[in-house]
Amino acid sequence: MADQKQITFTLDGRPVRTSPGTLVIEAAKSQGIEVPSFCYYPGLALQAACRMCLVEVEKMPKLQTACTLVATEGMVVRTMTDQVRKARKDMIEFLLSNHPLDCPVCDKGGECELQDMTFRYGLDKTRFAEEKLHHPEEKWSPLVYYDAPRCILCFRCVRVCDEGMDTKALGVGSRGVHSVILPNKPGELACEECGMCIDICPVGALTSGTYRYHTRPWEMTYVADPCTHCSNGCKTTLSVRNNEILRANNRDHSGVNGEFLCAKGRFGFDFATHPERIRAPLVRRNGKLAPASWEEALEEVARRLKQVRDAHRAETIGVIGSNHTTNEENYLLNRFARITLGTNNLDHHRTADYVGLAAALGPRMKDSLATMADVYQAPAVLLVANEVSNQNPLVAWQIRAGVRHHGLRLYAINGRPSKIHRQAKIAVEVSRGSEARAVRWLAAEQGRWEAKTTESLAALKAALGAEHDVVVLFGAEIQGSAIRDLVSWAGRLGGKTKFMALGDYANSRGAADMGILPDRLPGYAPLSDAAERARFGKLWGGEIPAAAGLTLRGMLDAATQGKLKALYVVGANPLKGFPGPSADRIAGLDLLVVEEMFLTETAQRADVVLPAACSYEKEGSLTNTAGEVQLTHRATDPQGPRSDFDLLRILSHQLSLLGMGAPIRLRTPAAALDEIRQNVSGYDVLPATLLGGGAELAAPAPRPVESYEPPEGAVFSSNDYLFTSGTLGRYCSRLTSTNEARERPWSSSPSTQSWWHR
Amino acid sequence: MELPPHLDEKFRELMGRYPVKRSALVPMMLYAQDHFGFLGDEILEEIATRLDLNKIEVEETLAYYSMLRRKPAGRYHIQVCTNISCMLRGGHELYAHVQKRLGIGHKEVSPSGTFSLEEVECIGACTGAPSLQVNYDFYENLDPDKVDALLEQLEQGKKPQPVPVTSGSLHERLPAETLVISKRFGIRDSRRMDVYLAHEGYQALEKALKQMTPDQIIEEVKKSNLRGRGGAGFPAGMKWSFVPKETNKPKYILANADESEPGTCKDRPLMEMDPHQLIEGIVIAGRAVSANQGYIYIRGEYRYLIDIMDQAIAEAYGRGYLGKDILSSGFDFELSTHTGAGAYECGEESALMESLEGKRGYPRIKPPFPAVVGLYHCPTVINNAETLSTVPAVIRMGGEAYANLGTPRNGGTRLYSISGHVNRPGIYELPLGFPLRRLIEEVAGGIRGGKKLKAVIPGGSSCPLLSAEEIDLPMDFDSLAKAGSMLGSGGTVIMDEDTCMVDVARRIMHFYAHESCGWCIPCREGTSWLRKMLDRFHEGEGRAEDIPLIDELAKNMLGRTFCPLGDAAALPTISIVQKWRNEFEDHLRGKCSYQAADALAAAP
Ligand SMILES: Cc1cc2nc3c(=O)[nH]c(=O)nc-3n(C[C@H](O)[C@H](O)[C@H](O)COP(=O)(O)O)c2cc1C
Ligand code: SF4
Ligand code: SF4
Ligand code: SF4
Ligand code: FES
Repeated sequence: MADQKQITFTLDGRPVRTSPGTLVIEAAKSQGIEVPSFCYYPGLALQAACRMCLVEVEKMPKLQTACTLVATEGMVVRTMTDQVRKARKDMIEFLLSNHPLDCPVCDKGGECELQDMTFRYGLDKTRFAEEKLHHPEEKWSPLVYYDAPRCILCFRCVRVCDEGMDTKALGVGSRGVHSVILPNKPGELACEECGMCIDICPVGALTSGTYRYHTRPWEMTYVADPCTHCSNGCKTTLSVRNNEILRANNRDHSGVNGEFLCAKGRFGFDFATHPERIRAPLVRRNGKLAPASWEEALEEVARRLKQVRDAHRAETIGVIGSNHTTNEENYLLNRFARITLGTNNLDHHRTADYVGLAAALGPRMKDSLATMADVYQAPAVLLVANEVSNQNPLVAWQIRAGVRHHGLRLYAINGRPSKIHRQAKIAVEVSRGSEARAVRWLAAEQGRWEAKTTESLAALKAALGAEHDVVVLFGAEIQGSAIRDLVSWAGRLGGKTKFMALGDYANSRGAADMGILPDRLPGYAPLSDAAERARFGKLWGGEIPAAAGLTLRGMLDAATQGKLKALYVVGANPLKGFPGPSADRIAGLDLLVVEEMFLTETAQRADVVLPAACSYEKEGSLTNTAGEVQLTHRATDPQGPRSDFDLLRILSHQLSLLGMGAPIRLRTPAAALDEIRQNVSGYDVLPATLLGGGAELAAPAPRPVESYEPPEGAVFSSNDYLFTSGTLGRYCSRLTSTNEARERPWSSSPSTQSWWHR
Repeated sequence: MELPPHLDEKFRELMGRYPVKRSALVPMMLYAQDHFGFLGDEILEEIATRLDLNKIEVEETLAYYSMLRRKPAGRYHIQVCTNISCMLRGGHELYAHVQKRLGIGHKEVSPSGTFSLEEVECIGACTGAPSLQVNYDFYENLDPDKVDALLEQLEQGKKPQPVPVTSGSLHERLPAETLVISKRFGIRDSRRMDVYLAHEGYQALEKALKQMTPDQIIEEVKKSNLRGRGGAGFPAGMKWSFVPKETNKPKYILANADESEPGTCKDRPLMEMDPHQLIEGIVIAGRAVSANQGYIYIRGEYRYLIDIMDQAIAEAYGRGYLGKDILSSGFDFELSTHTGAGAYECGEESALMESLEGKRGYPRIKPPFPAVVGLYHCPTVINNAETLSTVPAVIRMGGEAYANLGTPRNGGTRLYSISGHVNRPGIYELPLGFPLRRLIEEVAGGIRGGKKLKAVIPGGSSCPLLSAEEIDLPMDFDSLAKAGSMLGSGGTVIMDEDTCMVDVARRIMHFYAHESCGWCIPCREGTSWLRKMLDRFHEGEGRAEDIPLIDELAKNMLGRTFCPLGDAAALPTISIVQKWRNEFEDHLRGKCSYQAADALAAAP
């Protein structure tokens, strides 16, 4: 932006320079002057309702609300005069007149804005001698409760639900002092259950069903971790007491998600204490899985892996990695597979074609990846496929915020209806599965469509032709050559086009970046590249086989046919996600080892199950779908299970003793991240940022690949929606406790779309 | 849901009135309620579907308006007004009588479903106090016997004739009056087009369209010193001149006929007896600012006036005074009515616009002002119905001639609805600057029963009260401001020496607490607190420290609320505690000298 003219006004006697249009309340904040407020909330519509922010302005007879007052040249504002102080006291007094003073038993006690304001600005006695209004507490859903007497009617919840979420599930009932917040069904909330209203409520009027009356805020410790569910990487603050997560919310707004969290990030943490969690290793004895000691189990795994390798060849061993484990664990797994086990049969459930994007962008990837912030700031966004409102809730939030705040223009091409299309300038609905063809049309005007679709595609193309600095988002439907089409066409749009592939899970992108692939080493280095093989071989103390391995599907097929003899699965449930032609896909296996939290469909068939810690129980880093790397921290002790990092490390030592490869010398995730930073393209991220709780963009710059096409059926999305999260989601009891969760498939069907509207 | 044909047709017609469908929401709900007796889930669903709204949007809008209900009322819904003008003439006693007679209380339905009862705020029948409405019909100048007769007939399934015209609007014209906008009152069939045409009707429009430019119209209105009759007294011509000329947005004219200020009932006869005068004024205003669409926002209780205005509008379309190419001038103007549904706050201009857009009547942040960002976020002129009804006279006689009827800076005449303890309550047209003392003594015939004057509300209950010692002043905006009060809406309420001022303060606060929209803390909580405190005080449970507290709480609201309703609640209260403090002190000694002795004895 060109150097805008600044204005100067006087605030409490000091000159303040600021850009035109700045609200006095914001200018004051930037000067470290607190103007108390309840209804003002940055980014939401202005209200001027609570009257807490009244300030004195020279030449204006009445006090003015700083939350709506725009600073102008020469304005003289005072925030600390007697008159202002008195006004604040009076507002607090009015506010408390009908407010139950039940702070000692209120969930919000200790972190309540009203309590804080009363402490700082309020009266020390009460003059209200009348009877207070009564209203019973209401349970709106298993997750959201409303206590009307505590409600100060700041309307933040109503606005965040309407403006922020575009859900409009909340309204205001009655009038005057009897006003209350209403849910959209009689006494009941039918919505996305994101809980944004709970977080934004300054008082204890909206409380979380998972947390209410459990504890007091000061009895807990707080750990900020990236959410373990979808690929967007929201930071969620875990509140922990007695080694148990009691709450997840968004306390500091410092993550890539700003203030956002969806239902999964907020309520989907209770899997960690699910009764079905495996706490001790299981080994199959006489056909049945029985508890075993760690020594027994690890010895069994090492011995039998060695047996398979000796009896057959290393190529008869397969390794399946995870969308959830950390970068460090994936990095270790890569090394474990290729060096310790000596196999390139290594893959994971790919939920977006990150490889294809790397291939299409090549070294341009370095500066062509869009961050979550870019999505918000972009003047225009092109979204191809993917139901972002369900599958990538943060991305959808960013788009909505951009539209509201600065008129972001959304263009969409989709085979599915989506709530986000309400924000779109142009949304072209094509038949499901033909999204790639639509991209082909954009790139080369090839392919035949109905006249109407051609017309809308042409309109969309023309409109984008006039845009600059477009952010392009695409789902799993766009892979290989379709990505190439998209990149080559969109790359020629005005300004700098940036891209984001939309995957499914917390470390989907990290798994690909770390090379959990049969034909790619970390940083998308081609396995076929001898120099890269040699580089990593040297680093890992062994030789990497040259021939590309089997894909996940290939491994399962080989297992069905008896060609694969051992399968090592880390945090994945391929027997559920990859149905194949044969009823029993792993009949031919001699050995199945699974590192898991639960007895999933796959774990139930295992010979050995090693209980694994979840991401809230360990250290490491995760990369969201945009490529933003964040650290995850151990919020609770896993109580039995071990991190995949430790399991792989220990096994490598044990196998090494049996003559299989060199042991893994990296002792901690931090050491592994160091090695990654130095050796994996794009991962030279700043540790200081990460340690400070920030995110760093990992943008590998691989060598360009002429024409890349992922193997048939290798890349596909699970199409999770707001209340599912792959296998893990099934163990999130709170998430599945809502009516909405039972009404699946919800927003993807037109009928549920309509109740959403009503 | 299958709708009866007439309702289906009404819905379609309503939806056709607005550029934004949602605007039809409140009218649709009210008309649906008229048919079904209440608003059930099914009909709301139907309305939501037709308007493309989600359920909560319908539900929350409904919840705001006091006329709309989710549960059935009786076949005859008896609404007794106990607000200030009615109270002064026995409204409470009347309400108690009806309660006893029907055996039901506030918002209750009789077992047979025949009757339901509601104590309501001012229904705009102040000059006919005490009064009530049965459904939409007005019955005025009541006493217990008359009410008994009325209820008896209703029980027998007969519908007694409601008041033919607003009580107090038809009377022998007094020499003190200057008839400008009320001069057709009392002429037979005055609301019909032909009669209007025969009495100077639409001459001003001809003149405005054929002989004047839009700027000249504005200039003329400026010269007339016509100041807003809605309450604030803002110069109309100046307001019109704020409307941007260069804009490609549509512009709107709104006539504010929400008339809900307690003590005020002068827009009612204007629409009842001279609807074309209002239409003519609106079209001229439209021409002046180049607006092509107007709405008359009429409070929901005035249903019969909506019907009258609709008929007059249809007539005007038929004769080419509305619609395309009016009088071959090339100027187009469309006009329709819009019904409110029970909310005083919707008289506030920006809340009115929200309400017209089909939402809860919350006021909007200003600036921007309506002239620039108004209805549907387009430039809008909003004037009181009386202000607009005056425009044809201004154009006809010329701004200066009109101005000269009044005093400097206060042009022309205005209607006063004079109520309370006077001998001749009624609606009188007086020049601005008319002395208040003469208004009481000469025009209204002095205090009833030869009693002494105690207090005057000069222009609706939002104004600070004047004591008997303060009435030697001319009734114009500036003089009243100087006296620490306001000329307001012309609703002059007179109180005699037997009036309990604590009770007056109490009743006034009840009104504002009931009507506070709840948007801002000081008004929402302040009115409720003061209401409870004044109730307690009046019941003899007051404490000495309450007296200064009442004063202070009212002052704590003053000037700090979002919209002027908070001030409107605070100002009369402050004036009453300050001017009649002794009466508060009397109550501390358990003595309300003005109440029937048994009423006090009954208090706990
Ligand atoms: C609480 C409140 C209620 C009001 N009610 C009315 C009303 O019923 N009728 C009216 O004309 N103006 C009413 N007003 C004044 C309007 O806001 C507005 O000033 C007026 O319609 C402008 O018209 P005028 O300039 O012709 O008076 C009210 C104002 C407030 C603050
Ligand atoms: S529930 Fe909370 S956020 Fe919503 S209006 Fe009440 S106090 Fe504000
Ligand atoms: S959007 Fe994704 S990352 Fe963010 S809270 Fe929801 S599931 Fe977690
Ligand atoms: S003063 Fe505040 S609460 Fe009262 S009516 Fe106006 S906006 Fe509503
Ligand atoms: S923060 Fe300004 S009025 Fe609420």
